[in-house]
Amino acid sequence: MREKKLQLVISFESTANAMAVERFCLENDLPGRLIPVPKEITAGCGLAWKADVSKKDELVKAFEENDIIYDGMYEITI
Amino acid sequence: MIKVNAIGDQCPIPVVKTKDAIKNLNGEGVVETMVDNEIAVQNLTKMANQKGYGVKSEKISDHEFKVTMTISADQAKEAKTATTDAECAIIPSSKKNRVVVISADHMGEGAEDLGKTLLKGFIYAVSQQEELPKTMLFYNGGAAITCEGSSSLEDLKSMEAQGVEILTCGTCLNFYGLSEKLAVGGVTNMYDIVEKQTNADLIIKP
Repeated sequence: MREKKLQLVISFESTANAMAVERFCLENDLPGRLIPVPKEITAGCGLAWKADVSKKDELVKAFEENDIIYDGMYEITI
Repeated sequence: MIKVNAIGDQCPIPVVKTKDAIKNLNGEGVVETMVDNEIAVQNLTKMANQKGYGVKSEKISDHEFKVTMTISADQAKEAKTATTDAECAIIPSSKKNRVVVISADHMGEGAEDLGKTLLKGFIYAVSQQEELPKTMLFYNGGAAITCEGSSSLEDLKSMEAQGVEILTCGTCLNFYGLSEKLAVGGVTNMYDIVEKQTNADLIIKP
């Protein structure tokens, strides 16, 4: 049984980039986790960062301040 | 947060009690329901999915399960006016006996950090399937995945609460000094590991 909820999903251009973002987020106590890109999204590489929709501003700010480039940002129910 | 005690209650009482609690939230909030069986966990998860609530479940002991729902302000408003109806899920009896075997702390051969990331993604994807496996076996390097510090614990706890049997090789826990660190599921031995796989309809290995 799936536990579905509206989530923020951020995709990246490369797998290495996605893994670097995971390290960055864990080191800086940023919310979310790395997941395989949901089937609903076809852009980017195979890994994406998933977080609560309410954490969007916090993440965007941290990414901008640290020159982290992401591919796309989505809000989907997964 | 509202706590609901539905231990000892038969379906549909846990769902009805939880819905009533959500009605009394008055705005966004969290409702935590305690139940004593996996079917109740599945019914509550199904109700939450239908309503779009956030839902997490955890097995506390053999007869104690915690289901936590997160309800938004809009959803709480909608719940206030809804009628309290509940259905009891019929659990399909034709369910295939699927066994997932995790024998390393990484998936596939190649770069180690990529392999660990892939395995984490694999376990997450298993937890998102419509039909969950009956059993998940962890041995050798895979034993670390069910122990403290593993980033798959939340996914595994949620599956365990929905009735997935999570078993880790005791010999392996001992060898790696992890016996005190097991954080989800039970300990098993080689006879069970052979038996579970022998009786499986399908064995899934990452």
